[in-house]
Amino acid sequence: MNLNHHYDLAVIGAGPAGMAAAIEASRNNMKVLVLDDQTAAGGQVYRQIDRNYHKNDKLFFLGEDYWLGKKQVEDFKHSSAEFFPESRVWQITQDKHVFFSRKGRAYQVEANFILISTGATERPMPILGWTLPGVMSVGGAQTLLKSNNSGADGAVFAGSGPLFYLTIWQYLNAGFKVGAVIDTAPGRLSWSHYLWALPALLQLNLLLKGLRWRSHIRKNTKYFSEVRSVSISGQSTAESVSFLDKYGEKKKLYASHVFLHQGVVPNVNLTMATGLKHYWCPRQLCWHPETNIYGESSLKGIYVAGDGSGIAGASAAILAGKTAAKHIVQYSRRPSIFITFLSKLKRYKHVAARPFLDILFCPPKEWRVPFEDETIVCRCEALKKADISSAISLGVAGPNQLKSFCRAGMGRCQGRMCGLTIQKMIAEYNNISEKDAGYYRLRPPIRPLTLGELASLAED
Amino acid sequence: MSSQGNKVVVIGGGIQGCATAFFLAKRGQKVTLIEKDRIGRHASGVNAGGVRRLGRNILEIPLSLAAMDIWQNLYQEIGEYAEDFHPCFYLKVAVDEAGRELGLMRAANLREAGFTHEVWVEDDVIQTRLPHLSIPTHGGLIVEGDGWATPWRIVQGFANAAKKNGAKIIEDCYVNSLTQSQGLWQIQTLKGLFEAGTVVNCAGAWAADIARSADDYIFPLESFAPMLVVTERRPKILPAVMGVLSHTLSLKQLENGQFVIGGGVRSKANHLINQSDVSLQKLSSSIKLAAKLFSEIGNAQVIRCWSGIEGYMPDELPIIGRGRRNGLFHGFGFSAHGFQLGPGVGEALADLVMGQQPRVSLEAFRPDRFIN
Ligand SMILES: Cc1cc2nc3c(=O)[nH]c(=O)nc-3n(C[C@H](O)[C@H](O)[C@H](O)COP(=O)(O)OP(=O)(O)OC[C@H]3O[C@@H](n4cnc5c(N)ncnc54)[C@H](O)[C@@H]3O)c2cc1C
Ligand SMILES: Cc1cc2nc3c(=O)[nH]c(=O)nc-3n(C[C@H](O)[C@H](O)[C@H](O)COP(=O)(O)OP(=O)(O)OC[C@H]3O[C@@H](n4cnc5c(N)ncnc54)[C@H](O)[C@@H]3O)c2cc1C
Repeated sequence: MNLNHHYDLAVIGAGPAGMAAAIEASRNNMKVLVLDDQTAAGGQVYRQIDRNYHKNDKLFFLGEDYWLGKKQVEDFKHSSAEFFPESRVWQITQDKHVFFSRKGRAYQVEANFILISTGATERPMPILGWTLPGVMSVGGAQTLLKSNNSGADGAVFAGSGPLFYLTIWQYLNAGFKVGAVIDTAPGRLSWSHYLWALPALLQLNLLLKGLRWRSHIRKNTKYFSEVRSVSISGQSTAESVSFLDKYGEKKKLYASHVFLHQGVVPNVNLTMATGLKHYWCPRQLCWHPETNIYGESSLKGIYVAGDGSGIAGASAAILAGKTAAKHIVQYSRRPSIFITFLSKLKRYKHVAARPFLDILFCPPKEWRVPFEDETIVCRCEALKKADISSAISLGVAGPNQLKSFCRAGMGRCQGRMCGLTIQKMIAEYNNISEKDAGYYRLRPPIRPLTLGELASLAED
Repeated sequence: MSSQGNKVVVIGGGIQGCATAFFLAKRGQKVTLIEKDRIGRHASGVNAGGVRRLGRNILEIPLSLAAMDIWQNLYQEIGEYAEDFHPCFYLKVAVDEAGRELGLMRAANLREAGFTHEVWVEDDVIQTRLPHLSIPTHGGLIVEGDGWATPWRIVQGFANAAKKNGAKIIEDCYVNSLTQSQGLWQIQTLKGLFEAGTVVNCAGAWAADIARSADDYIFPLESFAPMLVVTERRPKILPAVMGVLSHTLSLKQLENGQFVIGGGVRSKANHLINQSDVSLQKLSSSIKLAAKLFSEIGNAQVIRCWSGIEGYMPDELPIIGRGRRNGLFHGFGFSAHGFQLGPGVGEALADLVMGQQPRVSLEAFRPDRFIN
């Protein structure tokens, strides 16, 4: 493996944001390294685009937005950036060393600038039965579709959000039978929805697309709207889904595959473990790293771009990556107020609809904290809601302290599956805001790392 | 003396402070423990939990043995929390001739000094005690009955037992300053003023700041962050706590199968802002060694790495004893091996405060030993 020890820019994540930054920076003669844990460039949205393109039946069902990524991936491949796929970055130090594992070995590189473009992750939807085999996230189902063209006939989709409708639409297009769609979005729109809908009109295309997906889904599936109290049951695997429909009537559907989704949130494990400052975003109900308009974080020379710095979608991610790279290239020249204003304006076109989408699909409490005491909250340590509630009632001030009381969040997912739920539970019990309850203190390694890999860093 | 004059304030809710408060309360002394964060939040709650006499500085051995007496009867003192102490055996093996020489020399020195707890064993014994070991050794030192504990639980145990005996424990209460007037200590805190005739400074890495504020000695105490990694659960292969002679490694496997690896390697710490770094890279040599001892370990996945803030003295021996000022006692500077000593230190400090003779000499830990 032909790795240098030093780069001008190290980019973590080869999604739209990371690729755009790498293309821009290498065009300006910077020595760029790009690391991504997938087997190919593309990120979440353009996952496996290269391989799928070379298939005989170019997977048309993924939709034109997916195939838009082809050009970017081509440009990226032809750029002078060095790209190492299958590289799991597990630590970034504040003096800008990047540590990662690849094929059983660990490596270390140093860079003048670092761009973290590690994207988003799905918000967990902890409901009764969500840990049964056969249940997975909608994003997981989409990943299988993009990577292997595989799916499950008769699956039930429960949740809401743009990715929810997109994936069902793709599923239908691919020819899979959808068992039912259980839409948990609240039906009534309030005045604030209408208010935020106004700027959203700037991204009319996006809204129309969403409406098209939804009406296609309504027509072609067994569709339930405004659903509440969803739970999954089964002996050893998922067998059925129960819920209350919008008339309050109890329903039960049989399904061996259930896909859940409540939107996506920035994947903050790397940014938090690196020690960047974060703030609580009350509209998206998640943590965001603090950055300026160019993506520079609270640590000089470390940037964050794309959905990892706040959910805004693929086109905003491309712009953010490019903007960050431009800022890095001209680092010594601080941009004028006018340029900053222009950058903001440019960005606005790509995010105008975001507040509207955020409040439209804002997950009600029911999907963030489970109702039943027996529901598992921390999957790694198999802790139920009741276990966690009783630990919290011993007088826990925040998620970190909870660790010592009941080991919640101490497993291998590092809190990805329980952090937001536990934060909310602690806030409610202590009657404080979610922001004040705080989040887990994250520490490297933030990605799986074996002791053997770590040992390979030792000098002989 | 006034009623305040009878009171003792212990600063610091780590193992030393909690054990001290416990032994004082148990003997009927009025005592208040003040902790700036939460009980066991720092080194005492996050350490490797190694309860070992093995390998201690010879000057520290009597105190360590005294502490072990308490560990062995811990249930009497702190009740069910004592179940979180797991005695087994501690083994430090030699992986090369240099290690063997060092070990044999140490065994001879200890024998001469009259200590019998550390025993030299040859490879055949080691192989039968550790059937999963991947390499032959050059012998090693063993101590039966050493083991490990869940540190946070033990600290809680002492804190609870202290409370049961009437001690007051106040958390989230930062001590700002200490001044003495008319034989009484005025302790300014975030939660107001406390007064006491006696103060015991068990403030860990922060203890030199407390001493300075009290106009006591200036202590050459430095903060560092010892580090640990813990792996996912793996089949049980290691029934002991292990180290390697002339190398820095401490290795054990918890009851649930997780490996915990650390030992000596330390990163940067800034106690003023409660911050400690981790640098996994610095642990890589220790881990390489661990994977050499048990090849199975190389496949285990790291799930967490952490560090804690610890105060170090230049000679890596603690400060235990009377300060320069009247009514001020110190117990800190444990230089990354103070967890096992905790119960012994608590008992000794309680003795000193109550004007009794501690059961072992504290000469080696004199607070004034760096003052010329
Ligand atoms: C499961 C999922 C599916 C999605 N599908 C779509 C979709 O089909 N259409 C759509 O418009 N939007 C989709 N989104 C939303 C998506 O976040 C944005 O559209 C867009 O992909 C964001 O681009 P990005 O460059 O910020 O991040 P991403 O595209 O997410 O790229 C980040 C890349 O970083 C890699 N990475 C993360 N952490 C590390 C690490 N520690 N070491 C190495 N590599 C790392 C990831 O594997 C990924 O390849 C999806 C989001 C998720 C979570
Ligand atoms: C990672 C790690 C591994 C270790 N492994 C072992 C091991 O295996 N075996 C072993 O024997 N030892 C080990 N140690 C060392 C051991 O943990 C320490 O020596 C011991 O815990 C020190 O106890 P303490 O009570 O002095 O300090 P601490 O636990 O640090 O307690 C001091 C307390 O004082 C409080 N305080 C400070 N200033 C103020 C103030 N102004 N006002 C109020 N309160 C204040 C602090 O908040 C703190 O809680 C390890 C240490 C670490 C960090």
